Amino acid sequence: MGIKIIKREGGSFKDRIYLPAILSGMKVTFSHFFKNLKDTSNIKTLNYPEEMPQDITSRYRGVHLLTKREDGSERCVACFMCATACPAECIFIEAEERTDGVDEKRPKIFTIDLLECVFCGGCVEACPCDAIRMDSGIFSFVAQKREDFLLTKERLLSHQSMKDKEC
Amino acid sequence: MANITVDGKVIMAQDGALLIEELLANNINIPHFCYHPSLGKDGNCRMCMVEIEGQKRPQIACDTPIKDGMIIRTKGANIDRVKRSMLELELINHPIDCPICDQAGECELQNYYMDVGLYDSRLSTPKVHGQKRVDLGANVVLDQERCVLCTRCVRFTKNITKTNELGVLSRADHSVITTFPNNPLHNPYAMNIVDLCPVGALTSKDFRFKQRVWFLKSQEAICDRCARGCSIFVDHHKEKYKDEMIYRYRPRFNDKVNGYFICDVGRLSYTKENDNRNFHPHIRGKISEYEYAEGKLLRLIKRHLSKTLILLSSTLSLEEMVRLQKLTKLYGMKLSGYEEGNNDESFGDTFLKCNDLSPNARSFKVLGINSTKESFREDLSAVDFVLLVGRKDTALVQQSGFDKSLAMLCAYCPSASDELELLLPIASHTARAGTFINNDGFVQYSKCAITHNSEHKTLLELLGTILGDNIFTCKDVWDEELVAFDTLAGIDYHALQNTSLKIVL
Repeated sequence: MGIKIIKREGGSFKDRIYLPAILSGMKVTFSHFFKNLKDTSNIKTLNYPEEMPQDITSRYRGVHLLTKREDGSERCVACFMCATACPAECIFIEAEERTDGVDEKRPKIFTIDLLECVFCGGCVEACPCDAIRMDSGIFSFVAQKREDFLLTKERLLSHQSMKDKEC
Repeated sequence: MANITVDGKVIMAQDGALLIEELLANNINIPHFCYHPSLGKDGNCRMCMVEIEGQKRPQIACDTPIKDGMIIRTKGANIDRVKRSMLELELINHPIDCPICDQAGECELQNYYMDVGLYDSRLSTPKVHGQKRVDLGANVVLDQERCVLCTRCVRFTKNITKTNELGVLSRADHSVITTFPNNPLHNPYAMNIVDLCPVGALTSKDFRFKQRVWFLKSQEAICDRCARGCSIFVDHHKEKYKDEMIYRYRPRFNDKVNGYFICDVGRLSYTKENDNRNFHPHIRGKISEYEYAEGKLLRLIKRHLSKTLILLSSTLSLEEMVRLQKLTKLYGMKLSGYEEGNNDESFGDTFLKCNDLSPNARSFKVLGINSTKESFREDLSAVDFVLLVGRKDTALVQQSGFDKSLAMLCAYCPSASDELELLLPIASHTARAGTFINNDGFVQYSKCAITHNSEHKTLLELLGTILGDNIFTCKDVWDEELVAFDTLAGIDYHALQNTSLKIVL
């Protein structure tokens, strides 16, 4: 391997007194400052939480939800694919026999620990039944206690898909 | 002997033996459903097709006797196409409900589809549906849609148990496995058909939906339900934030003892391993710290020394027995292996189950431990302190007129009783390794030692501390103590790892 010699920059008098660089930076800052001062409607930042983001699409990976069948029961058959795919091991499932004739198996317990979840979307990709999704649009999840971050089956079923909200 | 060439490799094989046997023995992957070493060939699934030089069409390996000079191809585009077609036929009416199927992960259909299938379905007509949940009896559930009609289960009830409960009903794609009216599965080995079933058609009601099989870890063990000592796999898994759970026992092939099968009673005896896990030591009926209770045991032994009778159970391993024997010899204690109720005439049969329910009573004889009633009575009258090890039959001691100090070391604990000076739980059968001698004199090593969250120590650990000689493992006990026994000559720890060795009792 040859050695590449790189010429050192910043040795000139103009570079060494710093002021021209600072001034040119300030020029950019102030030009934006006055531009925004004249027309506040174009500012890209939000006054969160008073203002909420409006551009969250159904592809955004928000808090999980369990989808339902036409009859309103859970679509999930407790195949453990999501729990197997989960790198954070934050999905806790307990299966039981389903006797209503719709299917054979259902989750008795389906809990996601949001504090452990890394929101990778692996569970959604792994699901063979389209039973778990992350398109709830919930991007911020607040709770008082650690236990409240454990999303139970009922809670996951109550979350609505953004697609359903739109139509 | 015959020389055959398989995929360009020359193999020495038995002349006239079935081709599939030799191929499987040489670890050559041959897809098959209906062939099973214990049930023989049937030739109905047509999955084990191989190309044989000189034959016009591909042949099934399970019904082809080996001839000298055969040239066989098991791989290649041609034979893969044949296998793919066979698989397509098997899968035509398969519901492909792997997400809810307990077999998923150990299913031959899944494996072969990944090996040679990977086609898109060409089916344009609706699938033929069957019943999804047929209770055949004896803890076996049938899913008619998943069945590939290999008839392994039918042949098992016909050839092995000779009870003939199962048969194939109807024709063509309406064919289903079924029992005869008013005659459900009822033989004591019925759950073996769940293991035999290559697909998810037969599932165990006991294991149904409990756990996905790919999470399970298997350890080799010896069943302790009766004196047969069948080889088993212990399938266990530790869920996050939970303790280790054993989900099932499966038979492990051992041609010397149990072949490919185990009985249902033994198979379901895993439940006792999961119970009593969180049992705490008790001193006179009050819960105690384990460390403190361990000290209490030492103090009790020290206080009584030669006035102690150790009553050991036949469920203990050979290593544990010899260590207890050493302890008694060292301090002049009495030792007895007398037990009642270990013989159940209604349990045994001519296949695997036997009337003797003690997993290791033969070791008494090997070690020279007295287990007669007379000596037990005699010893009992001479002591102040009785220590029950591995057993909980306090009634036997009390009914014999003993009313002094009583302590118990036990893996499967009774509800704590106040009359006990000390109740100290020890590691259960699958939580510690050990050697067992079965009723035919086979010395077998049970490797399974699952570590639990519970603090229960193994008996060897407790005895190692009491004896203070730093012998805590089975290997040490074999090297230091069991080598001295003439009956066990030629047997050592390493030799037992992978095989069962016969001794003369």
